[in-house]
Amino acid sequence: MEVLSIESISKNYGKIQALKSVTFTVSTGTVFGILGPNGSGKTTLLGIVMDILQPTSGTFKLFSVNPVADHRKQIGTLLETPNFYHYLSGEENLRIAASIKERGTNDIHKVLTMVNLYERRSSKFSTYSLGMKQRLAIASCLLGDPEVMIFDEPTNGLDPEGIAEIRELIKKLHHEGKTIIMASHLLDEVEKVCTHVAILKKGNLLATGDVNEILVNEDIVEIGATDLGKLRSVIAMMEPKLNATENGQLLQLSYPVGKARLDDINDHCFKHGLILNHLSLKKKSLETKFFELTNN
Amino acid sequence: MGKLLRIEWMKIKGYRTFWVLTTLFLISIVGINFSAYYLKQETTQNNAQVNMIMGAPFSFPNVWHTVSYLSAFLLFIPGLIIITSVTNEYTYKTTRQNIIDGWSRKQFIHVKIALVILLSAISSVVVFLTAVLFGSISEGHFSLLNIEFIGYYFIQALSYSMVALILSLLIKRSGFAIGIFFIYAGIIENVLGAFLNYKTSGMGSFKGLGNYLPLNTTDNLIPFPFFRQVVKFGTDSPVYVLLTLSMIYLFLYYVFSVRKFQNDDL
Repeated sequence: MEVLSIESISKNYGKIQALKSVTFTVSTGTVFGILGPNGSGKTTLLGIVMDILQPTSGTFKLFSVNPVADHRKQIGTLLETPNFYHYLSGEENLRIAASIKERGTNDIHKVLTMVNLYERRSSKFSTYSLGMKQRLAIASCLLGDPEVMIFDEPTNGLDPEGIAEIRELIKKLHHEGKTIIMASHLLDEVEKVCTHVAILKKGNLLATGDVNEILVNEDIVEIGATDLGKLRSVIAMMEPKLNATENGQLLQLSYPVGKARLDDINDHCFKHGLILNHLSLKKKSLETKFFELTNN
Repeated sequence: MGKLLRIEWMKIKGYRTFWVLTTLFLISIVGINFSAYYLKQETTQNNAQVNMIMGAPFSFPNVWHTVSYLSAFLLFIPGLIIITSVTNEYTYKTTRQNIIDGWSRKQFIHVKIALVILLSAISSVVVFLTAVLFGSISEGHFSLLNIEFIGYYFIQALSYSMVALILSLLIKRSGFAIGIFFIYAGIIENVLGAFLNYKTSGMGSFKGLGNYLPLNTTDNLIPFPFFRQVVKFGTDSPVYVLLTLSMIYLFLYYVFSVRKFQNDDL
């Protein structure tokens, strides 16, 4: 089943086009990453899905039907920043959220414990640190044990330990069968926790699909020898033909994921009387891939 | 609506500014009337002539009129309360969060309108009790004659608070909204009203057009209550015209605020 399907949504802020006819779907049980640099339209898109922004054109469906307010009660959402009443305590804020959601108020202490805020539950929200505010927002998403959660930059403002905790939490929720939609500008984060991804740049959808197909599709082998010219000609004799690019004193060979055989390369060169002084396998750096994807 | 108001109650229960302003407002209603009552007692005590001109503004049935009129000067305070309560939600982005958590936009704006009605009703009850209090300590017997002024006060309270609500929805920032509210209610409408009245003074049926501006219309429901034996203040407009127009304005405020909130980017 489809949790969310977005159909050619556009959004203009005056002359600026924040989203340009974006279309994709999110299936049940996936961790769906919306990846894009700052200002690419991630939050705008989620804002439209949450009915706090009006699309200029286009429609979307939640749970395969036209969206209504009650759908949002079944989705835990953290959008952009933690939004709470500053003069109320963490617990009082969650009580308001839980009352609106109408999915029970019994689990407030449980979700506060899950994000390590139970001890500070009675402190005013205004006294919380940035990381605590973020954790309260995540606790609020967990209220009522929803099947679908939307996290917009969930690790914003968290320390490394907090970031690791949240990623573990997302993985755990995924294993419980929940659907998670996560917006992030951190490629590494999407790669670590998401099963599917949509890449946005300046409001355009660049790609969408399985994270392994879109983000990591080749391995790089770096080789070096004293005589670079000879190395090039020896490599050119290899079967099948490889795509070789020069990078300083090294050659870079591209292979499909998992297909690179370092011993074969070494063996081939040795047979042709060439001694390698450098041989290493590198996953293509994610940043490189990201720039590639967003720079065409 | 009960469920929605209970959530609104959770929001304001811990909000100190709300309680300080509300308490101040309700005390001021008694206070402003006491000041006027005291002043009147002082000036007329040993002066039969002044006493005659003043009449008995704090005796039944005049007291309903007098207390409604004086209390209406404080209506900027509930306006202030509404502005802080609405712009706060924009500042904290809790408008967004309430919608995200599952309220419809329609529910959100209707809770705020319900707050306007509730606040106006509570202050009308306090005005009623204040009138009973000052009527009882003055000469004369209890009478419900002129009680309609309490109703006019209620309409006037709704009108001020709805204007405050609309400004909050339009401006979204508290300081700015409060500033515009005071400038509009205190200066613009009065100046514009006087100007229109001056310009239309010789125009027959358009005469006194300035009296029909949004806040002036409801203000004029309760004319100046003192010295009525000597001189009459306010408009010549019959009450039913003012009442009808007030209702139309309130209806338009309602439609506008709901539509504005439904179609806005929050």
